[in-house]
Amino acid sequence: MLRFIIRRILGSIPVLFGLSVILFFFLRLLPGDPALTILGEHATPQLVAQMHEALGLDKPLYVQYLGYLGQLLQGNFGSSIIDNRSVLDSFLVRFPVTIELTIGALIFAVGLGIPLGRLAARHPNGWIDALVTVLSLFGISIPIFVLGYTLAFVFGVELHWLPTIGPLDPRLDVHTVTHFPIIDAILSRNPNAILDAFSHLFLPAIALGSIPLAIVTRITRASVIDVSNEDYVRTARAKGLSQHRVDDRHIMRNAWLPVITVIGLQVGGLLAGAVLTETVFGWSGVGSWVVTSIENHDYIVVQSLILIFATIFLAVNLLVDIGYAFINPRIRYS
Amino acid sequence: MLLSVRDLIVRFRTHDGTVHAVNGVSFDVDEGETLGLVGESGCGKSVSNLAIMRLLPRPAGHIEGGQVLFEDVDLTKLPEADMRDLRGREIAMIFQDPMTSLNPVLTIEEQLVETIRAHRPVTAAAARTRAIELLGMVGIAQPAGRLRSYPHEFSGGMRQRVMIAMALALQPKLLIADEPTTALDVTIQAQVLELLQRLTTEQGTAVILITHDLGVVAGMTRRINVMYAGFVVEAATTANLFAAPRHPYTVGLLHSIPRLDAAVDEPLIPIEGVPPDLRIPPVGCAFAARCAWRLPRCWTEIPPLDPLVPLEPGASVRTTGPAATHRVACWNPVTAEEAGLGAPRRPGFSAAPPPTGSRDVVVAADTPEAVLVEPAEASSP
Amino acid sequence: MSSAPTSVVVRAAPRASRGLWRDAFQRLLRNRPALLGLFFIAVFVIAAVLAPLLAPDDPAVGNLALSKQGPTLAHLMGTDLLGRDELSRVLFGARISLLVGVVAVAFGLFFGVIVGAIAGGVGGAVDTVLMRVTDVLLAIPGILLAIGIVASLGHGQIQIMLAVGISYAPIFARLLRGSLLALREADFVTAARSEGASPARILLRHLLPNALTPLIVAATLAMATAIIDVAGLGFLGLGPGDPRVAEWGEMLTDSARFLQNAPYLILFPGAAIVISAIGFNLVGDGLREAIDPRLKR
Repeated sequence: MLRFIIRRILGSIPVLFGLSVILFFFLRLLPGDPALTILGEHATPQLVAQMHEALGLDKPLYVQYLGYLGQLLQGNFGSSIIDNRSVLDSFLVRFPVTIELTIGALIFAVGLGIPLGRLAARHPNGWIDALVTVLSLFGISIPIFVLGYTLAFVFGVELHWLPTIGPLDPRLDVHTVTHFPIIDAILSRNPNAILDAFSHLFLPAIALGSIPLAIVTRITRASVIDVSNEDYVRTARAKGLSQHRVDDRHIMRNAWLPVITVIGLQVGGLLAGAVLTETVFGWSGVGSWVVTSIENHDYIVVQSLILIFATIFLAVNLLVDIGYAFINPRIRYS
Repeated sequence: MLLSVRDLIVRFRTHDGTVHAVNGVSFDVDEGETLGLVGESGCGKSVSNLAIMRLLPRPAGHIEGGQVLFEDVDLTKLPEADMRDLRGREIAMIFQDPMTSLNPVLTIEEQLVETIRAHRPVTAAAARTRAIELLGMVGIAQPAGRLRSYPHEFSGGMRQRVMIAMALALQPKLLIADEPTTALDVTIQAQVLELLQRLTTEQGTAVILITHDLGVVAGMTRRINVMYAGFVVEAATTANLFAAPRHPYTVGLLHSIPRLDAAVDEPLIPIEGVPPDLRIPPVGCAFAARCAWRLPRCWTEIPPLDPLVPLEPGASVRTTGPAATHRVACWNPVTAEEAGLGAPRRPGFSAAPPPTGSRDVVVAADTPEAVLVEPAEASSP
Repeated sequence: MSSAPTSVVVRAAPRASRGLWRDAFQRLLRNRPALLGLFFIAVFVIAAVLAPLLAPDDPAVGNLALSKQGPTLAHLMGTDLLGRDELSRVLFGARISLLVGVVAVAFGLFFGVIVGAIAGGVGGAVDTVLMRVTDVLLAIPGILLAIGIVASLGHGQIQIMLAVGISYAPIFARLLRGSLLALREADFVTAARSEGASPARILLRHLLPNALTPLIVAATLAMATAIIDVAGLGFLGLGPGDPRVAEWGEMLTDSARFLQNAPYLILFPGAAIVISAIGFNLVGDGLREAIDPRLKR
């Protein structure tokens, strides 16, 4: 088991290395001069040359890359060329908001998707199954921002049930401690703030979670139907076990396996989707930072954020693989 | 009488039409008796037994007629909760493929213990003790140590032993063994069969042994029912069936397997053609299209399963026991001499051609993938 | 038995792939959700191709006096901030989505098939290197890769096509390589090899045509994703960047500020995206079932 974990961790190192190479060369080789971005279009050639030297852009590319890699290995992602703040520092301040949004969406997708998938699998081709199929078709066909605005319009503008802007009402004056809106609200011991934080999360989490919801529902349904037709499920029935026990112990224990893998893969989509969701609902997390950095041509930030997101994605799937091995004895012992 | 299946009809509703899987099958099993059900795959032998257990694949499979009397209770009408209580406790099953019949993510212990505790109010510890005892009984060395193993850590033969232990855990009155050795290595087959026979004899468990292999049933069962396309076509004691097969299909089966006791020059005669399409409701004898003995009426009338020799006045058909009546569903049974040859031997006789406009021709026209072929082509694989 | 002529019904062996395709097509036509999808796609394509004929107004020219008017008989979908006819803009938006979507998926297929065919066909170290690169690209989640590419290539339709296409290429490459590897072991390939067919001939004549089947399904489903992703880029301000060009995603960004008093400006372009995406998703699922009937529920 330990060997399996170590092998998987070592296996992701080349990917991370390749990622840094691709992002570095890709973003450096492309047209556009960062010096001009900082200095403005009308900078004198001398100023531009000084800026190139300051940024290390006058050195050969491979030297620039090695320097960049060295910095990366020390946990230094560089600084924004707009406000000169360390990318990592700003990231750590903004990331909790994105985590909260992503986890909210994941809870929505998994919490609803698995029961829905199981329900649909109970009577394949029945009316519940048809309804679930249509819902999941909509889920994967609606862009996050269209769903986001629709939800905001219906539940915010029209019904006034839920707030649509930001993670927390600024008038509540909640102290920022952890940067997680909900945790900060809980720490404030103000029940209104706690309620407010949760109600702010509601619509963005649904908008962001709709695609994973559709995918988790589909895979759960397919997996439960597949496993239900396995010989060992027939054995379990032939032994006289109750339906409940057959479902929970013999079907779900096996049906979980592909579902877990798919849930891990959704984390990437969720991080990417956070870019759109945070823009729609005005959250100042990492996602909306990506957008403003693109607008500002802040290539160091864009490059670093993509690298960080990819690393998180790889790490999550590494954890998922390890978790998978724990519940699947066939891997555990191989 | 332990089990009495009466006129059982099972159909599957599928996208491609209704499959007539079992078409009015009757058979009986006494306490402690062993019955073999023999036939090609798809002949309805497994389906009839899944129907007895009410484990037909849902939602397609349905019992559409007949009764299954187990100790005089009709299982087809039993509430699901009672049926569940019966499964595993009174009637147990062993399936063909031990590789897939055990749950891969549960230990042997979990699977044995849950079987016992589903039916007996015993503590986990007591169930575990019983599980160890059972594993020892089926010949697994160091049973206590192997309890924590997962199925994939066992060989195929060992897994089938575990399946047998699980099936016999509650000392059921009836064990249905569906091709229990087909998926095993030849060398293991005999061991597993011997174990099965020894344990069921010791416990007095009646056995229905389903197989396509006449060699397996020969030494294992007292009686044999031969099935074809959802019908029982011949029923006899094992001794009678091997000594005097009377249905053309049985004769064909016996001639298509190599036998050690056969005369040296006796050729193997394959049964030509393929089993009928079960989506078409049977009109005549299901075997007619492949039969060399067929008469014109074979195409249009379904032959009943009747005694081979007319009963004496006042006598009745014996469906069980060592003196069970030899019965055959055939309009033109094979003679003793022909049974030895494997082919009709009557001057001037030739098999009746299909009636014009028969369903075979109609089907060929309707189904794009179906084509009419000459017999010579049809027999080539 | 052989003394009498007997007619027996047997199933013919699978015929040439043309028959396979015809069968698949017939199965597709029997699949009602897929037919609905075909209808949606037809509406989308007709709107895109015939936009100049169908559109009641010029999508680029508006009348400021008619800014943000709700749907009326004159303007069935109302007017936008600049008083332009929303219906005309949605119709012309279909043009961009179709063009960019098709070209992006074609780019993705082009790069993906080349990489996948080399990796799966050549194997060995080449395969390892190409698949590592694919792994790296696949590690960048979803639309982020496209965002990164557009961010560096700059605005414009070609850039979007390239960005979206490149972000799909690794998926296609993986898929093709996988089916090539599976097919290499297939009996008919072994047979061709034993008959002395050259490796190139086996790859081009036996492997690729069979391995393309899953790609067709994937490409259809990718069209749905492409329409959504292109709109997403537009929404983030990474669209064509030409205010005269109506693009669904950009139309949504422009209208988001007026959610309160002009929700229809979100509704109509949004519905257009959803319907087109549903169309391609339904047909993609239908194709998958038609090509591999075993998958059917």
